[in-house]
Amino acid sequence: MKISTWFGVLEMGSKGEILASELFPKDVRELALHSLSLRDSRQNLPPEGFDLKAAAVECRFVDSLSEYYSLLHEVTLDTVKIQISGSLTPDQRIIQAVEALDDINETTNSLSERLFEWYGGYFPESGLNGEALALFIVKYGSRENVATDDPLCLKARDSMGAKLEAADEMLLKGFAESVCSLYERRKQIEAYIESNMEVLAPNLTTIAGPMLGARLISIAGSLEKLAAFPSSTIQVIGASKALFKHLRSRAPSPKHGVIFSHPLINTSPWWVRGKVARALAAKLSLAARIDFYSAKKDISLEGALEEKIRKIRAANPRPPQKRQEGGAKPQKKRRK
Amino acid sequence: MAEIRLLSEGIFEITKDKRQLATPNLDPGKVVYGEKLVSVEGTEYRTWDPRRSKLGAMVLKKFNIPLRKDSKVLYLGAASGTTVSHVSDIVFEGAVYSVEFAPRSMRDFVGLASRRKNIFPILADAGKPDSYAHIVEPVDLIFQDVAQPNQAEIAARNAIRFLKRDGYLLLSIKARSIDTAASPKEIFTEEVKKLEKAFEPGFEILTARDLVPYHEDHLGVLAKLKE
Repeated sequence: MKISTWFGVLEMGSKGEILASELFPKDVRELALHSLSLRDSRQNLPPEGFDLKAAAVECRFVDSLSEYYSLLHEVTLDTVKIQISGSLTPDQRIIQAVEALDDINETTNSLSERLFEWYGGYFPESGLNGEALALFIVKYGSRENVATDDPLCLKARDSMGAKLEAADEMLLKGFAESVCSLYERRKQIEAYIESNMEVLAPNLTTIAGPMLGARLISIAGSLEKLAAFPSSTIQVIGASKALFKHLRSRAPSPKHGVIFSHPLINTSPWWVRGKVARALAAKLSLAARIDFYSAKKDISLEGALEEKIRKIRAANPRPPQKRQEGGAKPQKKRRK
Repeated sequence: MAEIRLLSEGIFEITKDKRQLATPNLDPGKVVYGEKLVSVEGTEYRTWDPRRSKLGAMVLKKFNIPLRKDSKVLYLGAASGTTVSHVSDIVFEGAVYSVEFAPRSMRDFVGLASRRKNIFPILADAGKPDSYAHIVEPVDLIFQDVAQPNQAEIAARNAIRFLKRDGYLLLSIKARSIDTAASPKEIFTEEVKKLEKAFEPGFEILTARDLVPYHEDHLGVLAKLKE
């Protein structure tokens, strides 16, 4: 009987004695690579309860148990390091980008709000906010510097805002520059996600759009996991709070999670959104599977989805009648 | 002055201002996850927070902890190594084969594993013991904290392959990872039944106790293989 171990292949006799051994060289990296290749092989497994360390000493791979353990320590460590360096797949990169984007959105929003409040003391009439305000401040600083051809020139001249001192102006300009660069970074990350999604998951990108597709992968954890999800799960990804409330108590089931941001759903009238969400989720799940397992573009998917949505809308042109009095409510009264 | 009391081999209770669980530091001077270091009679101890460790909670819930200084341990669900570090302190002449599935957690764990010679990190799925059968020797204890719906099955598969006939299984069952909606009590009864019956030869349950107040909806189980 042959046995594969991390230090070599052993030929065992019927009574458990070692007949022959083919030992690997005592090189940590090589042993680690061997160990990795054994991970997925189901052949020549050591029998249950097999004492590896005793066998290693017996066939003279090591001289002592302490040598066995210190070598095994090095080898397992190196194996893990190899595995970790290979674990950053393209979908993991996209996930990092999506999460960075969320952080940046949150930060830019609160910083822009701060800038709006702060600069509002000096030029409240500007009517600008967000990126436009940040750009304005970077360009002019104090409202006294607004160019005469700028549409805000008149307002700036007659503003009730306080005079902006030089020291404050420097501070505000620097702050605005930071905000601008964050907006810049946001565009950069969005472009990164868009171009990489097109490569990683072309079908998902066609159906969901790059941002929503990336978000789905991010919440699922990887493209592989997303491909393994049933479409009913994809339909409610991002609505876990509502879903568990529904499972634990009598709360209504959520109709859609993050896929609500898809234009097919949020432009649909409310009474078909659940149906549309179900159809969309079904196609999203197909798309994710095609992307993960074949990575070929399937052009029929988008057409099939549009056809399905058209049918749903045609079959439900009007909102359903509100439930007549005498439905759920009187039951409650009776129970009292 | 600090008072010290032995609770189980390698596990101490140190009273200094308040009572704290602690293990002698195998890697003196180094802190693993922000725990406090306390020196008593020339030995450095690392305090052990039972709220961050199922095993620590089991010690305080009066479980018999079958660990000796030279025990061989198979630790399933090593995560970032918070608890593994204490097991490594306790079995300083033994071995801790630490299985973790998530590369992200393993990344944090590698630093710890490289500083402690008795830790053998394995990046693999604990549900597939065959994938590390060429590395792991028969062990005295399997500790399992994996938060998977098929916890009992995972424990059984690993016990059949790696647990010595006189070895023990310490298991933390998380009710919420088996069913989010059902009542924890029913889940625990169900899981214990699975451990006893679902495979040959089955486990004999020695202790089964919840881990309140340190962990909500968790059941600690000490078991050994049936004769």
